[in-house]
Amino acid sequence: MSQIETLGILEEIQALVSDKLQVVSYKWLSRNFLVSSNVAKRLLAEFVEKHGSGLEVVYSLSGWLKNSPSNYHIQLVTGPKLSEAKQVYDGNCRVHVYSVQACIPKDLAALWNTEFIQAEELFKQPTSVDNCLRDNRFCGISNSFVKRNVDGTPAKVATAQPNSVGISGLSIHNSAQFSAPLPSQQNKVQQSSSKVAQKPPIVVKGIKSDSISGGVHDLATKPSADKEKNTSFPSNKKKGQNDKGSTGNGGSLANFWDRASAKPKTCSVPADNIDSIQNSNDAQISACEAVEHENSDIDAQEVNFGRASNSEGNRKRRVVLDLSDEDEYEDAVNLASPDPPKRKSFLGSIQNSKTSVPERPDVDKPDKDEVTVKEERTANREPNRSLGEETSLGSKSTNGKNSSSVKLESQLPETDLKKDKVTDASPNSPKRRKVLKTRIDDRGREVTEVVWEGEETEVKKVESDVPKKAGSGATNATTNTVANTNSRYAVGTTAPSNPGVKTGNKKAGNAKDPKQGNILSFFKKV
Amino acid sequence: MEVDSQEQLQRKQSTYLSLDENFEIQKEVYRGQQYSQIYFARLHMMRTLLYSLVPNWKSHLPVCTVLELEEGKECIIVGTLYKHMKLKPCILDEYSKERSVAPLIKPHNFMHQDDYLVLEDESGRVKLGGTKLSPSVYVTGVVVALHGKETSAGAFFVEDVLEAGLPPQIERPLKSREDKYVVFVSGLSIGSSSSNPLQFQLLVDHITGHLGDEEEQGLAAEIVHLVIVGNSVEISHGLLNGQNLASKDQSRLSEPFKELDILLTQIAASLPLDIMPGSSDPANFALPQQPLNRCLFPGSATYNTFRSCTNPHCFELDSIRFLGTSGQNIDDLTKYSEAKDKLDFLERTLRWRHLAPTAPNTLGCYPFTDRDPFLIDSCPDVYFVGNQEKYETRLLKGLEGQLVRLICIPRFCETGVAVVLNMRNLECHALTFGTQISS
Repeated sequence: MSQIETLGILEEIQALVSDKLQVVSYKWLSRNFLVSSNVAKRLLAEFVEKHGSGLEVVYSLSGWLKNSPSNYHIQLVTGPKLSEAKQVYDGNCRVHVYSVQACIPKDLAALWNTEFIQAEELFKQPTSVDNCLRDNRFCGISNSFVKRNVDGTPAKVATAQPNSVGISGLSIHNSAQFSAPLPSQQNKVQQSSSKVAQKPPIVVKGIKSDSISGGVHDLATKPSADKEKNTSFPSNKKKGQNDKGSTGNGGSLANFWDRASAKPKTCSVPADNIDSIQNSNDAQISACEAVEHENSDIDAQEVNFGRASNSEGNRKRRVVLDLSDEDEYEDAVNLASPDPPKRKSFLGSIQNSKTSVPERPDVDKPDKDEVTVKEERTANREPNRSLGEETSLGSKSTNGKNSSSVKLESQLPETDLKKDKVTDASPNSPKRRKVLKTRIDDRGREVTEVVWEGEETEVKKVESDVPKKAGSGATNATTNTVANTNSRYAVGTTAPSNPGVKTGNKKAGNAKDPKQGNILSFFKKV
Repeated sequence: MEVDSQEQLQRKQSTYLSLDENFEIQKEVYRGQQYSQIYFARLHMMRTLLYSLVPNWKSHLPVCTVLELEEGKECIIVGTLYKHMKLKPCILDEYSKERSVAPLIKPHNFMHQDDYLVLEDESGRVKLGGTKLSPSVYVTGVVVALHGKETSAGAFFVEDVLEAGLPPQIERPLKSREDKYVVFVSGLSIGSSSSNPLQFQLLVDHITGHLGDEEEQGLAAEIVHLVIVGNSVEISHGLLNGQNLASKDQSRLSEPFKELDILLTQIAASLPLDIMPGSSDPANFALPQQPLNRCLFPGSATYNTFRSCTNPHCFELDSIRFLGTSGQNIDDLTKYSEAKDKLDFLERTLRWRHLAPTAPNTLGCYPFTDRDPFLIDSCPDVYFVGNQEKYETRLLKGLEGQLVRLICIPRFCETGVAVVLNMRNLECHALTFGTQISS
């Protein structure tokens, strides 16, 4: 190190120790000034020489003990006791300055605090940052064989999960609300989607404030509400996926959702709408974000930015996340599935919207590709996705599981495509959708359940998801569980039209049986 | 290897092979079974082994099952020992005694002079008499061969005992190895009031090469592996009483893990690290304990040097076989039998060829159906146990030339002692840390 640098650092140490009364250990020094530990020790030794008077110094002694020869002893001693401590060592012991401080704390462990706080700060940096804590660059030993996975590690997934769960919960809640709207809304959605496609942020914003806060009823009243609904689900998914995809956004997304539940969810929706509608139009997105920013928190904006930045590439992930979450709330989400006739009308409207929004055409193709790609990817999670998609897509017949319907939709104008893209998770969903049915069950309760209608191509996927979801447990316990049980029973009554749900639920039920044990095992020969 | 001080030292490496598959229970299916199957598997494996050893021991005597015993006839029987203990805590005692009188089970020794042994196989059981077999040495679950005869009282008078003895050891290729060290530490108990974080930080600094001058760092560069043998965290029991925690208490639950994770990150960035669960760690209670979940270590699990292992843990480093536990098996032996020191218990488990003979009797164990994973087939070169009171070590020599280094690793939070093993000659030394001002 150059003399000037050294002097500068020494002066800083002086200031820290005398004025701020901080414990300056060699490790703290090395990490703070980005020098190797050995250099830091030398610096500290120099400091002690020049300015050490009046300050307490802690030395580290290490060596083999005299009394027990197979004992390598490392200890910390204060200055005055140094010579005495050296006696216990057999031969020469190595000494170096461990730390410099204004006074020795009563508990030597307090020496460790400053260093640990520094380590903690380094530790809390985003996992993609390779700081001196993580690669141990200032130690005296190099180790080229140590590798660190930054992407796709289980740790990351774990940390992202709370956010996604939060988001998914919200999205499911949203979807539940959104699914409540009936076909009429879907029609409106279709119409509004075209409108939204035409109109920039302002419209979206309006939709946002209306739909999310109002829930189903509001959506019905606002033509754009449907669009928002559709986009909101994709946006929810996006958010969830954003959480997974970008650890940086995770916290903000989670916060966003927490607040979103309190506030109108329009903030998130408009952003989503904007994303979905304008897809590649970042300018509009940022405009929307700007608009939203007025209305929503910074968190929302962060979310929007996240969404904007993770445009198409993350959509797939977002969709996946949403769907998986939605599985837990399968019944709630199912309500969003449109009826077939509406689907057609929606398609028709999509066609109209396509023509009306010339700027979209280029987006269509990528959307299609995305949709198909997403479908493949999200194949595992179809039930979840279908739920989300259905709500978002509104009238779209693909209840997430309808790959064919998704593809159909992908051919539609951008808005629909966007929705598909977002929700595209349902790649191979059969042409089936969930329909809300109300009946009186045997206990005299009015039961509203979601039943499947349509083809059963995706039965398997549903089943695979349902047990998972059943196992994970619905958070909105009362309504969902009631709906779940009711749907299970309802499945029987609605017979062929709900194969997926039925088998899914049954599967969930069967999954529990082995754990309960088979009575015949008692009679088996051991 | 000595390196010029101007160049950076290179850390030595060794090839690692994990042999923990036996201790994993992911593939096991629980169908409501109890423990008869694991006992049967144990008896079957050990009996086959003992039958092969009996001809070398006393070939002239017939071998029979317990039901085939005839009065006065000298024979050899093979079965599982059961020790009837008067003071052994029984769950029914809680209900028979009055609540106010019922004392808490204290982890002291439950031995009594009236304890007696019973030999049991699948056909029947017989009480054992005679002085050759001392109840204070044996515990329930050990499979032995006994030579003796039935007395008129219906008991079996034992004249001689055959234990399975040390398992065969795979020959290590003798090559002139350089000095490579493995460090064992256990009982960090981060989060407890008795743990001194500065001590552990000193250990981390020493191992990673921060502490000391170049010569000392050269020593540290020869450390190739670190094994953390259980009880790394300690959560205060007040937080674990089943009540809902206030949000401020919830952070107290996770603080020890964050601290441990930061420290492990520092270690994992330097050298390979194995962490085993212990009795106070958030892993399952029954042996074999499954690896600590990687989500507990978000920072350090990203390294390829970080390994979360089962308890018991078996691995090979440069073809030297290590086997060890976090201490539950030896602690249980301490409760139900007696010996001069813990190394004797270690030696006994090797001679009985079973890591935890008291499982599942008094030690929690998973009800395996087709095997007993605690049977020791091949003699390890290093056999360690963690969370003991003090550091002890001994080199055990077997009849067939086996050489085993037995190590008792003390609790670091109490003693500040870690154990360093030189793989070249299986010699151990202690690595102690002191942070007393008066030193």
